[in-house]
Amino acid sequence: MTSVAAPPRPRRRTAGISWGAWLFGAALVVLILFTLFPFYWAIVASLTPDAALFRDPSLWPQQIILDHYRALFGERDFITPIRNSLIVAGTTTVFCLFVGTLAAYALARLEFKGKPLIMGFILAVTMFPQISIVSPLYLLLRSLHLIDTYPGLIMPYMTFAMPLTVWVLTGSIRQIPKDLEEAAHVDGATRRQSFTKILLPLAVPSLATTGILTFIYCWNEFLFALSFTLGPERQTVPVAIALFRGMYQVPWGEILAAAIVATAPVAALVLIFQRRIVQGLTAGAVKG
Amino acid sequence: MRKISRLGYEARLGWSLVAPALSVIALIAIFPLGWTVWESLHLHELRMPWLGQPFVGLANYVEIAKDPRFWAALAHTAFFTVVSISLELLIGLFLALAMNRAFRGRGFVRAAVLVPWAIPTVVAALLWRFIFESQGGIANALLVDVHVLKEPMVWFIETSTAWVPVILADVWKTTPFVALLLLAGLQNIDLSLYEAAAVDGANAWWQLRHITLPLLKPAILVTLIFRTLDGFRVFDLIYVLTGGGPGTSTEPVALYTFNALLQNLRFGYGSALSVVIFAITFGLALLYVRGLGVRLGGEET
Amino acid sequence: MERHGLGGAIRAFPGSGLRRDLESTKPKQGAVGLAGSSWSAFILAFSLAGFLVACAPASKRGETVLTFSGSALGAEGTLVQKQLKRFMELHPTIRVELQRTPDDASQRHQLYVQWLNARVGNPDILQLDVVWTPEFAAAGWVLPLTRFAPASSEFFPATIAANTWAGQLYALPWFADVGLLYRRTDFVPNEPRSLGDLVTDAKQAMARPGGPRFGIVWQGARYEGLITGFVEYLGAFGGRILDDSGRVVVNQPEAVRALQFMRDELYTWHIAPLDVLTWHEEEARFAFQNGTAVFMRNWPYPVAAMSDKSQSRVAGKFAVSPIPASGQAGGHSTAALGGAQLAINAYSESPDAAYRLIEYLTAPEQMIERGQAVGQYPTRPALYHDPRLRSAIAIPLDDARRAIESATPRPVTPIYTELSEILQIELHRALVRQAEPQDALNSAAKRIDALIERTGMRKLMSGAHNGPGPASAASSTAGHSE
Repeated sequence: MTSVAAPPRPRRRTAGISWGAWLFGAALVVLILFTLFPFYWAIVASLTPDAALFRDPSLWPQQIILDHYRALFGERDFITPIRNSLIVAGTTTVFCLFVGTLAAYALARLEFKGKPLIMGFILAVTMFPQISIVSPLYLLLRSLHLIDTYPGLIMPYMTFAMPLTVWVLTGSIRQIPKDLEEAAHVDGATRRQSFTKILLPLAVPSLATTGILTFIYCWNEFLFALSFTLGPERQTVPVAIALFRGMYQVPWGEILAAAIVATAPVAALVLIFQRRIVQGLTAGAVKG
Repeated sequence: MRKISRLGYEARLGWSLVAPALSVIALIAIFPLGWTVWESLHLHELRMPWLGQPFVGLANYVEIAKDPRFWAALAHTAFFTVVSISLELLIGLFLALAMNRAFRGRGFVRAAVLVPWAIPTVVAALLWRFIFESQGGIANALLVDVHVLKEPMVWFIETSTAWVPVILADVWKTTPFVALLLLAGLQNIDLSLYEAAAVDGANAWWQLRHITLPLLKPAILVTLIFRTLDGFRVFDLIYVLTGGGPGTSTEPVALYTFNALLQNLRFGYGSALSVVIFAITFGLALLYVRGLGVRLGGEET
Repeated sequence: MERHGLGGAIRAFPGSGLRRDLESTKPKQGAVGLAGSSWSAFILAFSLAGFLVACAPASKRGETVLTFSGSALGAEGTLVQKQLKRFMELHPTIRVELQRTPDDASQRHQLYVQWLNARVGNPDILQLDVVWTPEFAAAGWVLPLTRFAPASSEFFPATIAANTWAGQLYALPWFADVGLLYRRTDFVPNEPRSLGDLVTDAKQAMARPGGPRFGIVWQGARYEGLITGFVEYLGAFGGRILDDSGRVVVNQPEAVRALQFMRDELYTWHIAPLDVLTWHEEEARFAFQNGTAVFMRNWPYPVAAMSDKSQSRVAGKFAVSPIPASGQAGGHSTAALGGAQLAINAYSESPDAAYRLIEYLTAPEQMIERGQAVGQYPTRPALYHDPRLRSAIAIPLDDARRAIESATPRPVTPIYTELSEILQIELHRALVRQAEPQDALNSAAKRIDALIERTGMRKLMSGAHNGPGPASAASSTAGHSE
C-alpha cells in the first residue's frame, strides 16, 4: 500500500531540499508517530500479562502472551457482539444501498423541481444530533417490542445511514460522465435501460465505496446501540467494548485485545480501499 | 408540448425514485423529532408512573433555563468544540498541504492517518484512556522518564488535565477527516496561480496567505460546519473517557441528555433537552450557511 | 403501500417510456419495482420479528410456568439452575424458566423498568438490587408480600428494612453484601478501634521500610460505589442522608465532618492515593492484592481471589473487620448494605407459585448452599452458627454477622437513583477539590430537596410512615387484581 500511483494532475516539485522542507518532513514524521502510537501501544499491551502491565509499563514487549485474546473469545464470548454488528451493519448497508441508489440516480441524473430542497433536506438530516431522537425512538421501539432486537437497531441506523448513502452516492454518480447514457437515449433507449445497462455497471465502484462508508459508520455507531440494547445477546461491538468494565472489573488486557479485534476489519477496509474512500468522502462535501 | 411532458415525466420519475428514501428518513427521523417536541411539553417520568403524563406546557424548558448543570454542560460542549476544532483545522491544513505534494510514501501517510478516522470512537476513547491511566498508563511513565513529571499524576481528577486526553483523542481521530476535506479543496485550486506568483518572486508563505487560504475558504467553512455540528453532538468519546467527570466538569450536553433520558428515565425533561440541542445545532448550521455564505455542494448550477 | 404510490405515479402517464418499460419487464421484477416491494417486505419483516419477540412461549395445560430472572453466568448460574431443578421436582405442577438478564446493574434496571412499564408479566420473579425495592414498590410494579405472611423476623432487620416501603414488605433478601475493612495483618495485627486508629496505623505501616505505598484504598470514582463508601463514613460520624421523617440532613455538621475526613485521607494525611478518585472495586482489589495498600474498603467478594497464593501477594496476610466508628459522639461502626432481593412482578399471572419459589430460594438450605458455592452471605442470622458455612466464608462468621448487623441501608426511597446521582456528583466535586465539603453538601441538599418537591415525594414519604400510602393506590391503578 505504500506505493500509490502518481496523482492524476501534475504537482509542483520542491526545488532542492531547503530548511523549510526539513522542518516540514520532521513535523510530518511526528504526526505519523502520533497517529500510529496508540495502535502500537494497544497491540503491545494486549499481548502483555496484566500484572507486568501495571507494575512497570514498557514500550517494548517483554513477554508475549495470547491469554487476553483467548479469554476474549472464550469466557467473554466476543463472537456474539461481532455477529450482532455484522448483521446490523450489513443489513442496514444493503438496504440503504438499494433504496439509496434509486434516490441518488434521480438526484444526479434527472431534472425536477424540488431537487435542491431534497438535497438540503437530506444534508440537514445528516447533521441531526442523534440524541434528539433517542427518546421517541426508544418509546416507539418499546411499543413495538423491538428494544433489544436486530430490527430495533437497523431501523434507527437508517436515520444516519440513509442520508449518508444518498448523499455520497449522488456525489459520485454525478462524477460519472453522462455521455454514454445520453447517446443511448438518442438511440431510443429508455431511462430504465440506460440506468440498468449503462449507469449501474459504471457505478459499481461508487456503490462499493458508499457501501464501505455506510458499513463503517454503522459498525462504529454507539449511542443508539447503547440505548436500544439491553444485554450481551444483542450488544454490538462498540457497546460490548465500552461496557467491558463490568460491575467490578477493568480488564485492560481484554479491553485492548477487543479494541484491536474491532479495529482490524475497518482498518483493513481502509487500507485496501483508501483512495476510493477518500474520493467517496469528499465527493459530495466540497464543491470548488 | 413535448418538452413540457418530458419535464413532467422526469419530475414524476424523480420524485417516485426519491420517495422510498425520503419516506424512510421521514418515518424514522422527522416523525420522531416531532414526537420529541410533543414529549418535551409533558411530564413523563418512566420510573414514577404515579405522576401520570400530564401536559405541562413549557415547564420543562423553564427548568432547563434554571438548570446550572445544563448551562455548564453547554459551556463544556462549546469549549470542547472550539479547542478541538482549532487544533484539527491547523493540523489538518498542514496534513492537507503535505498530502497535496508528491513525495515518496504519500500513500502510506494517507492510509496511516485514515485509520484513526475509521475505527469506532469508543475504541479511540479507550486507547487514550488507557494511555492516560494513573497506574500503568504509558503517558505517566514517559513523562516521568523525561522529567516533565516528578511522579505519576492522576489525569482524570482535575478538570484541566481531564480535558487533555479528551481533546487529544478527538484531534487524533478527526484530523484525518478534516485533512481530507481540505485536501479536496486544495486540489481544486488552479496551479497556474502558483506558477504566476512564483514568476513574480512570491515566497511560499505569501502564496499560502494570498492564494491558498483565500481559495480554500469554502472548503474550510464546510469543514467548520461539519466539525462544529459534530462537536456539539459529542457523546461516545466523553462517555467512555471521563464519563463527564471529575464531578460533571467535562460533561457535554449530549451526555447530560442521555443521562436524563436513559439513566433517570425522565422522558419529558430529556426530550426538552433534546429539542434544545437540536435547536442549537440547527441555529449554528443556519448561521454558517447564511452568515458566512457557505455554499454547500449538491445543487448543479 | 409504496408500490401503490409508484404505480399510481406511473399510471398517470400512460404514454411514458417507464410504464411500457416496467410492464415489459414485470415478470423479472425490475429495479424500481424491486425496491418498492423490498421495502414493504422489509417493514413486514420488522413487524414480524417484533411480533415473534413479543410472543411468550406457550405453556402446557395444567402447568404453571414461572420465569425467573437472574444472573445465569458461571458458578452462580450453575447453582441457580440446580436449585430451580430441585424446586421443580418438589412442585411437579410448576415449571420454572430461567431468563437471562444483564449482569450490569443499571442495564438490568433499565430492562425491568421497560418491561414493567409495558405491564409485561414476565419474568414473574425479579432479582432486585437493594436500592430498587422502594422505587418498584411505589410504582406498583412488585407485589406486597404481606398476604403470604413471610417470616421476616428470621432475616437481618437491616435487610428487611431496605425492602420495606409504606409499612409493607415487598421483597425477601436473597443474599447480603456488606462493606468491610480489609487490613494487612503483617503490618496491622489488631483491627483499628476507631477511624483515628486507622489513620495512625496506616501512617505507621507506610513509614516502615518496605511498607506499602498506600495507607487505604477505596472506591472514589463517581458512581454508586462512592455512595456506599460515604454512607459508611457518614454513619461512623453519626450523620445520615435523610432523617426518619424524610428530611434532607446530608448537609448537617456530622456529614461535613465525614466528607472532610475522606478529603483529609487524600490531601492532609496522604494515606489514600488520589487514584482512588477514579477507582471502582476492582482497581482497589488490584492494589491491595499486589501488596501496595495497608487497608482497603471493599465487599466480601475479593476474599477468595486474594487468598489464592498463585495470584495474590497478600494470601494469608490479611484479615477482615467491620469498618470502625469515628470515635466521636453519636458515631457508630457502619457498613453499607448491598445484595440481591427477590420480588414478585405485579403483573405476574401466578403470584402464589412465584412466592413459593422465592420462599424456597431464601430457605436456610439454599442459602447455605449458595454460601458454599459462590461465597455469598446468607441473610439469616441463625445460619451464622452453621459449621457448613464456616468453610465457605473465608472470614470468621462472627465478623461477617457483626458487619451485616451494623449495616445501614442507603436511603429507602423510590427516588433513590436520582438522589444518588446528585450525591455522587457533589461528593466527587468535594473530593477532587472543586468545592468545599460544606458547599458541596449544601448544594446536594438543595438539589435533593428540589427533587423531592418535583416528584411529589414529600407527600409520598410522609405516607410511607403512616397508613397505606400511595403504593397501594398505584398498584390498584396498575390494574392488578389479587
